[in-house]
Formats: sequence, structure tokens, C-alpha cells
Amino acid sequence: MHTTRRTLIKGAALSPLALALTRLPVGAQDAIKVGSKDFPESIIIGEIYAQLLENAGLSVERKLNLGGTVIAQAALLSGDLDLYPEYTGTGLLVVLGESLADVPGLGGTPTAGTVVASPTAVDPSTAVYGYVKQRYQEEYNLVWLDQTPMNDTQALAVTRTFAEENSLTTVSDLVALASTVDLVFSAPVDFEERDDGLKGLRTTYGDFPATVNGVAPGIKYQALVDGDANVVLAFSTDAEIGFNDLVVLEDDLALWPPYHVAPVVRQDTLDANLGLADALNAVAQFITNDVQIGLNGQVVGPDAMSPEDVARAFLQEQGLIPA
Amino acid sequence: MNALDEHQSEPETAIAYDRVSKTYPSGNRSAVSELSLTVARGKLVVLLGPSGCGKTTLLKMTNRLIEPDSGSISVDGVDIHSLPAPELRRRIGYVIQQTGLFPHMRIEENIAVVPKLMKWDKVRTSARIDELLELVGLPPDTYRRRYPAQLSGGEQQRVGLARALAVNPETMLMDEPFGALDAITRSRLQLELRRIHQDLGQTIIFVTHDIDEAVRLADVIVVMREGQIVQAGEPLDIVTDPANEFVSELVGASDALRRLSLIEAVSVATPIGLGRVPPDLTIPAETDVRTAFGAMLSAGITSIGLTNNEGEIIGSLELDTVREIARTHPVGITA
Amino acid sequence: MNFDYMIDHWQEILVLTREHILLCAVAIGIALLVAIPMGIAVAAYPGMRTPMLVVLGAVYTIPSLAFLAFLIPSFGLGNKPAIIVLAAYAQLALVRNIQTGLSGVDPNILDAASGAGMTAWQSLMRVRLPLALPVLIAGLRIATVSTISLATVTAWIGAGGLGTLLFNGITFNRPSMILAGTVAITALALSADLLLRFAERITPASRALHSARG
Repeated sequence: MHTTRRTLIKGAALSPLALALTRLPVGAQDAIKVGSKDFPESIIIGEIYAQLLENAGLSVERKLNLGGTVIAQAALLSGDLDLYPEYTGTGLLVVLGESLADVPGLGGTPTAGTVVASPTAVDPSTAVYGYVKQRYQEEYNLVWLDQTPMNDTQALAVTRTFAEENSLTTVSDLVALASTVDLVFSAPVDFEERDDGLKGLRTTYGDFPATVNGVAPGIKYQALVDGDANVVLAFSTDAEIGFNDLVVLEDDLALWPPYHVAPVVRQDTLDANLGLADALNAVAQFITNDVQIGLNGQVVGPDAMSPEDVARAFLQEQGLIPA
Repeated sequence: MNALDEHQSEPETAIAYDRVSKTYPSGNRSAVSELSLTVARGKLVVLLGPSGCGKTTLLKMTNRLIEPDSGSISVDGVDIHSLPAPELRRRIGYVIQQTGLFPHMRIEENIAVVPKLMKWDKVRTSARIDELLELVGLPPDTYRRRYPAQLSGGEQQRVGLARALAVNPETMLMDEPFGALDAITRSRLQLELRRIHQDLGQTIIFVTHDIDEAVRLADVIVVMREGQIVQAGEPLDIVTDPANEFVSELVGASDALRRLSLIEAVSVATPIGLGRVPPDLTIPAETDVRTAFGAMLSAGITSIGLTNNEGEIIGSLELDTVREIARTHPVGITA
Repeated sequence: MNFDYMIDHWQEILVLTREHILLCAVAIGIALLVAIPMGIAVAAYPGMRTPMLVVLGAVYTIPSLAFLAFLIPSFGLGNKPAIIVLAAYAQLALVRNIQTGLSGVDPNILDAASGAGMTAWQSLMRVRLPLALPVLIAGLRIATVSTISLATVTAWIGAGGLGTLLFNGITFNRPSMILAGTVAITALALSADLLLRFAERITPASRALHSARG
């Protein structure tokens, strides 16, 4: 099946997008297999990693757009991937199956009404990264390289009008509003029952009335804009936040862990390719929330660019690869 | 119990059951119990009895569709367990109710099933298919390529008969083959079966619960009840001399009309000259009295002429004679 | 939503369609190899029916993503785990229909087959399977159509096929690409459905029935 497919692809003039994402082995046995998950941000960052490695003289095989964390993690463990971009929060909650309470220094989720803003408190981003990195090494012999400043956490967002009318800046403000305004959340259907969803919000911020308008992830902003909901479960780097001029509410009682991105790499791959870590670490500092929102916005939509082109333009602009 | 000793003396034994028993795992009593019976070659033996009497079990043990628990059965002098069951079955014709035809096979394919299993060549098989279809009264050109569903029930059963006869077996087993047919078709097929049996002379075991069918077809009727033989004998004996109340009720021995159907008109004819000459109506002399009586009633006459094969009148049947037979012949049944 | 993508990228769609067909064909082929003996066994031992269908029903309810993830450690990414998952999902429809078809054959006809001297194998091959064939093909049709649509999710593990268009279209919000993927998958499923409906009708058992009506 593979041979047939490759022959056909060579013979046809194909658009880069659809096939770039499922590109198959091109022969090099030691090609670094770079994966990503199935949403634009992960694909763009996967593409950034791939181009950095190619620039460092390594051959790369792309296995982008895989079906989510479980697939990517399983492929990494089996050696079908050498590396893929992962989020620290996802590593903690989904892969390790632990919670913020397990992270030393964070000492458990704050409860409703208590204020945990002491000057000596550990920075959650650093603590979670350090803990996840250590646990991955112990559990899986996998290495987290440097994390980005970008924190693509879950967040609650509302329209600017709604925020101004009700003077909302934090999640606590929103919860306080629940007694007078009917809150309708636009979110994936599992939001209501998840520990990092509505259930978690009620534990952390105290119980409050709300209904969930369960929708497919792709249309959750549409429901907010159309007035079918007044709060949307967002990711803080979603391009739609900018497109729709939404206000992201501060998670003031810290329900959600930080979600910084870093390449997760197999130890044997690192050992066999000495320049790999430096090549990838070079980009980490440049990926901020604003940068990422900009990149995400360039690939989404009917006339947008391919992730490959977006990644290349970004890397050239930062001087990480030659123009 | 060996009910057929009288028939066994001269003709050769075709099928012998020796103390055969069968109990089903689910049943609380034996389906067939210590049953012995010998069937003479060339006879058409009808197993008659109510449902659950064991007649079908006995039939199916003969070709090992059901295995007996104990006892032995031999067909043509060979113990049925001395050869593999499929091989045994290919030697024995088997006819069941019309549903037994293979619906996905054309008529010719249905008939060719056993020849094919016995690896006959195509030419021989094809010739045999034509021969058999002619035998059962279905023109081959019309019927060979049809599917069973395109045939009437009666036609299907003729095909079933042809299929069972395909490799000219010496023994035939027939399990209520005409049970699902309408009365007219059924009696027509019964006549055909008698004709074919007379022509080919196979040994036939035929299961039915229909006394009229049994009387019409059988050389020997074996009446069964609860897995055992109650009475065995020629149809007239069974009807006129039932062994007990059960047989009497089963065969409806008190039914005067049925008794009439067992008697040929010629045997009770009034000689020429004593009846009305010439008679208003004539029928063949071997017609049974019941049929003759029916003809008299519908024509509104009291005497009917009887003719021989050449069409000459050889006597007459008188209404008074019929009355007499119905009233007195035989005695001691209704008492 | 428009047809631009289809017009501009028809060659690529053809390549993906071909991949999709190959993936489904191999999966269904393997599924049949497993399901036919299983269906025959279940028909022969009715006691096995409920446990077997419960197990296959349970397999059917495993979320495809979890199933794929489960197979990656042993089979890696790509075609192999995709084919295994598709073949496993097809079992329920296939085994159930094979069993139903075989058990639905009139016992009188089977009695006639043994009575004519067919061995168990001959009876199965010449009578029982041919008569069960329309039901069996109906099961194959259901399994094939659902496999064609299920095969889209195997794009998640880099197995290619038309799912690539759908997922990329959804990920990057390209309605024209989603439309192209949807149209291609629907066309494929409908063609398979028609083809197998036709096959269902030309089996000897169906022909016999149709000729009776006609």
C-alpha cells in the first residue's frame, strides 16, 4: 500500500497542506519523527520544530495532525514518534493523571474564599514544568526541553459588552454574577462533568447556578457571538478571542494549571542527535501568547496560509533559519 | 412382536428393525420403545398414528437422521451402522413435505443432488433428469430450468419424488410428503405414487396421520402409539378388524363410508340380468363401492353398470347391496 | 462553502480516495476471514451466540481513539492499527448476519440435505451458505458502509485516506476542503452500498425468489 501511494504522490501535483500533514517515510532510516496533535497550534509548533531540525542538518519525518494526546503519547512511547509539542498542564493532568495538588510547592488547590497571594509562593509555571519534567523522566524516560513563555491555558471568555456591563475581570466576578444573571456556558459537551470543567469551577470558586450549551469545539465561539451563550470556554491563544474582541477572565483562584509548550523527546533520540536539544531550545523564548495568537490566526480560514509557510516566515523573521 | 410374520414367509426382507429404542433428552418417555418390525421387499408400508407416536422417529432412524439408543436396524441385509451415514442416505430415497426442495437450485439441480454426490457424469445425470421428470408427469423442457418457488405445491412434491428416485434407490422413506397439499392434488399424487410404486417396485416406508391416505396407499399399515406397534396388517384388516379401541378410533372403523371404500364394486356385483338392463350409467368394475355409491347418488339412480377392461357390462351394483354392506359388513365393530 | 477545493485538487482527492478504498478493502477482507468461521461456529453452537455478541458489542463500543491508542505500542502508527480497528468494528455486523443467515435456513431443507446424503460440510457449502448468502451480503454491506465512514478517523494515526481532508478542513476551518472530503466519502459509501445491493440480488437464493414473483 505504501509503495503505491508514494508513486502516485510523486506523479501528481499535490497541494502541500493535505499531504504535508501525513507525509510518509522518504527512506532515511534515522529521520527524526516529529509529531503534533490535531489542532492548528500544535501543528504549527510541530512544523516549527521540524524546520529547526532540518536547518540543523537532521532529516525529519513529519507525522503531524495525530488524533490527540493519547495517540501522540502512545506513539512517542512506542518509538513511532521521536518528539512532539506538549503542554505542561496536559502532561500533568492527562498523561501523568495527577493534579496541581501533587506538585510540590503548590500544595493543593486553593479553596473558595481563601487568598493565596503570598510573596514567597512558588511560581506555578516553573513548579509544574519542573515537576512534570522530573516525573516524565522517571515514568517514561522522556525529556521535556525548554518551555515557552506562551501559556495556552483554559480560560473563560465573555464579550466585551457583557464584561463592561457587569464589570467583569475575574472568574470570581463571574461567579458572583451567577445569582442575578443566568449563566450559559458554550463549551464541549464534557465540560460540565470534568474536574477541570464546570465541576472543578464549582469546587474551586464555590457552587453557583449555570447551564452548559454543549457544542462541538469548532463552533463554540459562534454560540457566544449568536447570543446562545454568555460565557465561552476558551483557550487563551485561540485566534477567535482576537477576532471577536473577547475579554478573557482571570482565573484568580487558580483552578487551571499552566499550559506552556515544550518539545517532549525520547531520551535515545536525544542521545543519538547531540544538536537536537539546542536547535529546539533556541525557539522557546520567542513563542509568547501574542505571537502564538498571531500564528494561529494565519492558518485558520478559507484563504489562510499553510502551517509550513507560517512556521517558515516566523522562523526567518526571528533569524532562526536563513531567509 | 413381529407383526408381519405372515408377509415375511415368502418375500425377502428389505428392512428389519430389531428391538429399536429412542428416548430424546428432553422427553420424559421413549419416542420409540423396543420396537421390532420387518418390511418385505417391494412393499409400501404406511406408519400411521397420531403426532408423537414415534412414527417419524422410526422413519428417521432408518437413514440415521436420528440415531437409535439401542437395537439394530438393517436395510437390504446390511446393518445401517456398518457404513458412513451420508453413504447410507445416498442409497435411500428421502421425501419430506414440500419445503424439502432447495430453493436456490433449479429443478434440474435439485434432482441432480444425489447423482452429483455419487459423482455421476453430466450426460448420464442429464438423461436421468429428463427420465424422472417424465415419470412424475412434468415435461422436462418446461420444468428443468425453473426454481421451486415457480412451481405449485403439487408440482414441487412431484419434483421431491423425482429427486428421491434419482439414483433408483431400492428403499424410499417418505415423511408426510403430501401433508401440505390440497385434497384434490393430494389424491392425484397418491395415485401417481401407487403407479410409480407398481412400476418400479421399491420398498417404501411412508409416514402419515391421515387414515384415508394410509388406506389408499398401503400394502401394509403399521399403527403406532407411544413408540410401539399397536397393530400391523393389510388396510382392510385394520379397518374391519381393529385390534383395540385405539385403532378403532384412529381408523374410524365405524365409518360405514370408509368401509365401502375398501370394497371393489365387482366383488359385490349383481349378475347380468338381475339388475336393470341397460343401466343408466356404467363405471369400471374395480371402482370401490364408495365411489360407485357417490356416482349413483349424484345421478339419482338405484343401479349402476359395471364394465370390464373391454367396456363390456359384466354386472351391476345395486343400491340395496350398498345399504346391506354399510349396515352389516363387517360385524362387531361398533358394539 | 464551495467546490473550489474539489476542482483544484481532484488529483489529490483521487489519491486519497484510492488510499481509503485500499484501507477499507483490506480491513473488510480480514474481517470476513475472521467473521465467517466465527459466524459458522455461533450458528452451530447457539449457546455461544449471546456471549459472542456481547463481546463483539463491547468491542464496538470502545471509542475509536482509545482503541487506536491501545494498538500503537504493538503496531505503531499508520495502516496496521487502522486496519485492525476497522476489522474489529466490522465483526459485530458480520458475525451477527452470518449467524442470522445460517440459523434462518429452514430446518426442513437441512433435513433434506442430510437425508440426500450430504456430509455436514457439503450441506454447509451447497445449501446453508448459499441460502444464507443474501443475509450475509446484507451484513457485509452494513459493515462496508460503516467501515468507509469509520475509516476517516484513522487519519488520526497517519493512516491517510479521505479523513485527512476532513480533519485538515476542520482543523484549519476550510469549508471547501471539508466539503470535498464529505462528498468523496459519501460517494464512496453510496457506491459500495449500491454495488453490494446488486450483489445481494444476484445470489442464487435471491434470483430464485425474484424469478418466482416475475
